[in-house]
Amino acid sequence: METTPTLESLQAQLNAQQAVFEMHQAMNVEVFYWWCTAIMIMIHAGFLAYEMGASRSKNALAAGIKNILAVAVIIPTFYLFGWWIYNAFPGGFIPQDASAALPWAKSMGPDVKDMGTGIFWAAFALFGATTGSILSGAVIERIRVSAFLILTVFLGSAIWILAGAWGWHPDGWLLTDLGYHDVGASGVVHAVAGFFTLGVLMNLGPRKGKFIDGIAQTIAPHSLPMTLIGLMMIIFGFFGFLGGCIIFNGGDTGWTTIYNTPTNLSAFAFNTLMGFAGGIIGCYLATRDPFWTMSGGLVGIISVAAGLDLYDPALAFIIAAVMGVVAVQFAKLLERYGIDDAVGAVAVHGFTGAVAVILVGVFAAGTPNVDNPAISFAGQLIGALVMILVGFVPGYALSLLLKSANLLRVPEACEEIGIDEVEILAKPYPEASTPASRPSDVPNKLANTDLQGA
Amino acid sequence: MGTSITSWDDVSAYFTFADNPLALALFALGASAIVVWLIVSIIRHENAAFDAHKK
Repeated sequence: METTPTLESLQAQLNAQQAVFEMHQAMNVEVFYWWCTAIMIMIHAGFLAYEMGASRSKNALAAGIKNILAVAVIIPTFYLFGWWIYNAFPGGFIPQDASAALPWAKSMGPDVKDMGTGIFWAAFALFGATTGSILSGAVIERIRVSAFLILTVFLGSAIWILAGAWGWHPDGWLLTDLGYHDVGASGVVHAVAGFFTLGVLMNLGPRKGKFIDGIAQTIAPHSLPMTLIGLMMIIFGFFGFLGGCIIFNGGDTGWTTIYNTPTNLSAFAFNTLMGFAGGIIGCYLATRDPFWTMSGGLVGIISVAAGLDLYDPALAFIIAAVMGVVAVQFAKLLERYGIDDAVGAVAVHGFTGAVAVILVGVFAAGTPNVDNPAISFAGQLIGALVMILVGFVPGYALSLLLKSANLLRVPEACEEIGIDEVEILAKPYPEASTPASRPSDVPNKLANTDLQGA
Repeated sequence: MGTSITSWDDVSAYFTFADNPLALALFALGASAIVVWLIVSIIRHENAAFDAHKK
């Protein structure tokens, strides 16, 4: 016999369904950032291939081990102090209470009732690892692995996240005072890392043989195809990175930017892809060079990342194409000043990232924020300058310190022999000197039926 | 030895030593020491390798 539902029983059913819905919504948030984080690992696979390929074969493994260890030191240090910096310094240099982000806090570990902290920490840790790895390619073939690791810990777990606290945190002073807009981290990640790299390169000096009588020479990558594939893998990873830059809200809010303004993945999809394509075309037109053409994909995405939620896709394409041309000119300018940036990181990330922040002030000035000043040209310009300084000053100072302690660069003899031979004690291609025509010692079973089934 | 819960009823943070901030601080210190030791060991390895390949 069916019982007539009462108001109370209907309410109880509704509450139960609501609880299930909210749990699944929280799980969806976790799932989304879990996969963004996983996809970001592809950035590091890309950096690994890209930098090993860009090195000469005598330094290929030294370049690779740097990339692997960078991720391994940035993740724990970001746990130990990076997350705390983000939460403690939105107001400037004076920390606010962020004890919940300290590594001995109850909130910094598995918690049945907290389905946010761990997954957001993970995404940010991978942002940090990406930032730290931007330095890596520029300094190949002459930096000490130890020096690189010290620098990358500072960059990936302290410097960029301080910029992130200022320009990404909901209470960050760049946002609350100036309406700073940088949704895809053109400034807080790329400009900071690029100008940190410039500071390091000024103290590190060029590779031996890079400049002869002041004229820049080409030091060819030992595997350009590996470099191109690596760059494409970074582009793949970028979709995890940029996905991690959007906020998946509970309730009926939907997607928002980190500044709490409405957006969605569709907006990001339009402009990420149009920027990617534009950058490739711009760099190809400027160079006809395969390495720069593929790097153009990065230039294009970075050049529109700050305003990824706001641009007309065709405008994003034009910005990216123009920036592809201009970034190449900036890289050439650096070479004329004796800076040996082996992969163009300062131009691709630093210069492009800073200009990208300013361009939001050019094309999207007046766009309102929520409870903060509207986007303005002045706010974006000041924000870009802050990012440049936050990157450059510590990069220059720390590398100068390491240089003065004779800890920055490998000795000349090591550079000549190759870092792999001296320090890594392994060869990337041990059979490279074996001629392809040399008869194999291993019998070919398919060609020799007598051996089959033996 | 390190469990911080005795039942799954109304559990929040449940990881090992979650109720012992001193232990968590010591583990954090230990984790820091491993990172520092890694870098120190690389510096020592590099110095030895460079010395062995001096001209």
